[in-house]
Amino acid sequence: MTELIQQIIDGLGRGGIYALLALGIAVIFGVMHLINFAHGELITVSAYSSYWLFSIGLDWWLIAPIIVVVALVTAVIIEFVAFRWVRGAPDFTMLMTSFGVHFLVQALFVMYVSANFRQFPRPEWIFATFRVGQLNLEIYDLTVIVITLLTLLATYLLLQRTMFGISLRAAAEDFDTARLMGIRSNRVIRSAFVLSGVLAGIAAVFWLMRSGQAGPTAGLSPMLKGVLAALIGGLGSLSGAVLGGFVLGLVEVLLISRLPSSIAGLTDGIVFLLIALLFVFRPQGLISVKHVERV
Amino acid sequence: MDSDPIRHLITPGLGSLFLFSVIGGVFLLLSGDDSFSDLATQMMINTVVVLGLQIYIGNTGILSFGHIGFGAISGYAFAIFAVSPSRKLIQIPNAPLGLAEIDLTPFQSGIAAIAITLVIAIIVGLALSRSGARSGSVAAVVITLALLFVVHEVATNWIDLTRGGKTGLSFSPFGGNTLQGSYPIILLLFAAIAVARLFKETRAGRLAQAAREDDLVARAMGINPAVQQMIALLLSVAVVAAGSAMRVYEIGSISPRLFFFDYTLLTLTMLIVGGRYSVTGAVAGVLVITAGKELTRNLAELDVDGFNWFFRDGLTDIFLGAAMLGFMIMRPAGLLGDWEFDHWLLRRFKGAKSPVPVSKPTIMTSAQLKADSVSVHFGGFIALDDAALTAKGGEVVGLIGPNGAGKTTLLNVITGLVQSDNGTVLIGSNSLTGLTPIKIARAGLARTFQNIRLFPALSVRENVEVIRLVAHRHRQGKEMPSTDSLLVKAGLWDQKEWRASELDYGNGRRLELARAAAAGPDFLLLDEPTSGMSDSESIDMIAQVRTMAELIGAGVVVIDHDLNFITGICDRVYVLDQGRVIAEGSPAEISNNPLVLAAYLGEKA
Repeated sequence: MTELIQQIIDGLGRGGIYALLALGIAVIFGVMHLINFAHGELITVSAYSSYWLFSIGLDWWLIAPIIVVVALVTAVIIEFVAFRWVRGAPDFTMLMTSFGVHFLVQALFVMYVSANFRQFPRPEWIFATFRVGQLNLEIYDLTVIVITLLTLLATYLLLQRTMFGISLRAAAEDFDTARLMGIRSNRVIRSAFVLSGVLAGIAAVFWLMRSGQAGPTAGLSPMLKGVLAALIGGLGSLSGAVLGGFVLGLVEVLLISRLPSSIAGLTDGIVFLLIALLFVFRPQGLISVKHVERV
Repeated sequence: MDSDPIRHLITPGLGSLFLFSVIGGVFLLLSGDDSFSDLATQMMINTVVVLGLQIYIGNTGILSFGHIGFGAISGYAFAIFAVSPSRKLIQIPNAPLGLAEIDLTPFQSGIAAIAITLVIAIIVGLALSRSGARSGSVAAVVITLALLFVVHEVATNWIDLTRGGKTGLSFSPFGGNTLQGSYPIILLLFAAIAVARLFKETRAGRLAQAAREDDLVARAMGINPAVQQMIALLLSVAVVAAGSAMRVYEIGSISPRLFFFDYTLLTLTMLIVGGRYSVTGAVAGVLVITAGKELTRNLAELDVDGFNWFFRDGLTDIFLGAAMLGFMIMRPAGLLGDWEFDHWLLRRFKGAKSPVPVSKPTIMTSAQLKADSVSVHFGGFIALDDAALTAKGGEVVGLIGPNGAGKTTLLNVITGLVQSDNGTVLIGSNSLTGLTPIKIARAGLARTFQNIRLFPALSVRENVEVIRLVAHRHRQGKEMPSTDSLLVKAGLWDQKEWRASELDYGNGRRLELARAAAAGPDFLLLDEPTSGMSDSESIDMIAQVRTMAELIGAGVVVIDHDLNFITGICDRVYVLDQGRVIAEGSPAEISNNPLVLAAYLGEKA
C-alpha cells in the first residue's frame, strides 16, 4: 500500500511535466490544427541555454526564470519562421513542417555546438528526500506537483477570465468564425505560441534539473511524451491533455516498477505500444472530442 | 482502362523502362569512376527504399514513419539468416530457436527476410485500418512511430538475437562482398521502378488515390480504403524490405542505428523533395538530395576565411532539414508534383484522340427507393420525425423545405452517413438499414454533396474513371456508358486533363454529377446541385441532370432551394418542415398547398 502511494506520488511528479508539455501542444492544435512535433525543440534550446548560463556562473534560481523566457521567445520565433507559412495547409504538410523544424533545430546544434551531450550541474538539494511515515518523498516531486498545479490554475484563470483567453478558446473552437467576429488571427496564434512556450519553459526547468545535460536530441523524449499525453487526452481538449499527462506519468512509473528487469529497457517502447493500441481500439483518444464532419 | 486494363499499362510500362534506362545510365556512369562507385550503389539502394515509401505514402497520403522500422526488421532477419554459422557462434551464440546454426545463401535469406517483414506488415496494416488511418491522420503517425521505436528498442536490448546496439551483427570476413554493378541490385532497381509506376495505374492504386484526396467521398462512392491501403502497404513494405536487405549486405553489418531516425529523415526528405505523388519524382529526389548531401559534405571541409561559420561539420544535416522544411513551405508537392516520365512520352508521340462517344440510354432501373418512418435526433434536437420518401426509376423526386428542415439529414440517413434512430431504407427488396456508406453505395446509390467535394489533385478524367472502376466491380449487372461518353455528355471533354481543383464552380458541379453517374447507381441523390448558380446556369443544370439520369437509367432524388429548378425538373416533390413530411405531390399541387405556404411564408394555415 505504501509502495503504491509512493509510486503514485512519483507518477504525479513525472506526469506534471508531461501535462505542461501536453497542454502547450493541445493549445497549438486548437488554434492551428497542427500537431507540433517541434515542441521538444523548446526544451533543446532551453537545455543549451542552461548549459551556457552555468558556464558564465549563474545558479538555478536565476537560470529557471531565464529559461522560461528563452522557451517563450523560441516558440514565437519558430512560429514566425515556419508555422506561419503553412497555416491552413493540408494535415500532411503541417505534420512534415513540424518534423522539418525538429530536424533543422537539431542540425543547428550539431553544427554549432557539438553532436555530443554537454553536462551541467543538477541542483542536488532538490533531490534530497524526507520521510513522512513510511513514505520517502523527494522535494523535487512535491515541487513539480505544486508548481504544475499552480501553473494549471493560472492557465485556467487566464483562459476563462481574460479577453485573451476567451479569444483563444473561441479560435480553438472555430477558427474561421472567430476571425469573422473580429478576433485577430495573427495575434491569437502568436499568443497561443507564447502560452505554449511558457508552459514548455516551466516543464523544461524541471526536466533539465533531472537530466542535467544538453544535446541536440535532448528535446526528443519530452516531445514524444508531450505528444503522446496530448493524444491520450484526445488532442482537441485542454483538460484532456492535462489528464493525459498525469495518466502517462503514472503508467510509466507503474510499468518501470512492475516490469521484470530483463525487459525494463523496453519501457519507452511498451508505453509507445500501449498508446498505439489505444489508437487502434479507441481512435478518438481517452477523452473523446466530437469532430463532426458536415456533409 | 474501361475496356482493356492491359493496354492502359503500356505507356506507364514503357515510361518505367525509360526512367530505368536513364537512371541506370547515371548510376553506371558514376560506377565507372572509382571514387563514385560506392556512392552509385548506395544511391541505387536508396532509390529502391524511397520508391517503397512512395508506393504507400504517395498513393494513400498516409504519413508513415514506420517503413524504416520495417527496413530494420528485414535487415536483421537478413543478417541473422545470412551470416555464416561460424561467425554467428562468435557473435550471437545464444540466439533462440537455433538460429545460430542456420546457414542460408544471401538470396534465400533475402526472401525469408521479406516474408517475415510482410507478416508483421499485415499486423501493422490491420492496426492502421482499425484506427481509421487516412491522409494526414495522426493515428497513423503514432502507430508507425511506435513501430520504429519498438523495433529499435528490441534490437538494442535483445542482445541474444541482435548482439545489441554497441557492436551490431557483422558479416566480415565475407562482408568484403559488394553489390557494385551486380545484377541483383540492378534487377531490384528496375522491379521497384516498374512496381511503383504500374501500381499508380492499377485499380488498387487508383482507389487509394481517391481515398487520399477525400476519404469520406471515397466511402460514399463505394470505395473501401482499408483494402487498398493494405495492398499498398504490403507492396511498399516488400520493396522497402528488399532494399533494406541489400543495404545490410552492402554495408556488411547491421546495428540499430542503421535503420532509425537518420535514415528515416534522409529517405523521407528524398521522397518529399522529389514529389511524393510521382515515381519519377521519387527518383529525382534521390538524385537531388544525394547530390546536395555530397556537395555540402565537401563544402563542410572547405577552409575559407570569413566563411568558417558556414563551412563546417553538420552542414549536411542543415541541408536535409532545410530542404524538408523549405519544400513544405514553398512547394509542398515537391519538385515534380505528380508528373511522370510517360506523361511526356504520351504527349510527345501521341496526338490527342478525338472523342467517339457511343452511348445510348441504358434501360431504366425497375428498382424502387423507399425510406420509411425515419427518425433521427441529435441530442435534444429532433432532426427527422417519422419522415418517408419513395422514388421510382425514371422519376425525379424533389425534396424541399426551409433551412434545418432535415433534408440533408434524410439524404445522409439514406446513404448511411447518419444512423437513424428507427425507420427503414429499402432499394428494391434489399434493406439498406444500418449498412455502411460503402455497402450502400455498392447497392446502387450515388450522391453529390452540398459543398462540392471532388478529388482535387486528380484529373477530371481520373475523377470519373476511378468511380467507374468501382462500378465495374460492384455494379456488374448494369450496362454502363464509357468514361469518355460521360465526360462528353457533361461537357467536360476539353477539360479532361485538367486537375479537378482547377475547374470553375459550374464545371465542378457538372463533374461531381458525372462522377456520381459513373458509379452506375439505380438512384442519383443530389444535394443542392444549383446552390450558388445563376438562373441560366441552373436551367442548364436541369438538362444536365436529366441527360445523366437517362444515360445511366437511374431515378433522381434532389434537394434544392431554387424553385425554378425544382418545378422545372421534378415529377414529384416532398416538402419537409421541422423533420416531418408536410406535403407531397406534383410541383403544381405543392405550390398551392396551404401547409407549404405556411411553412415557407409564415402564414397561418
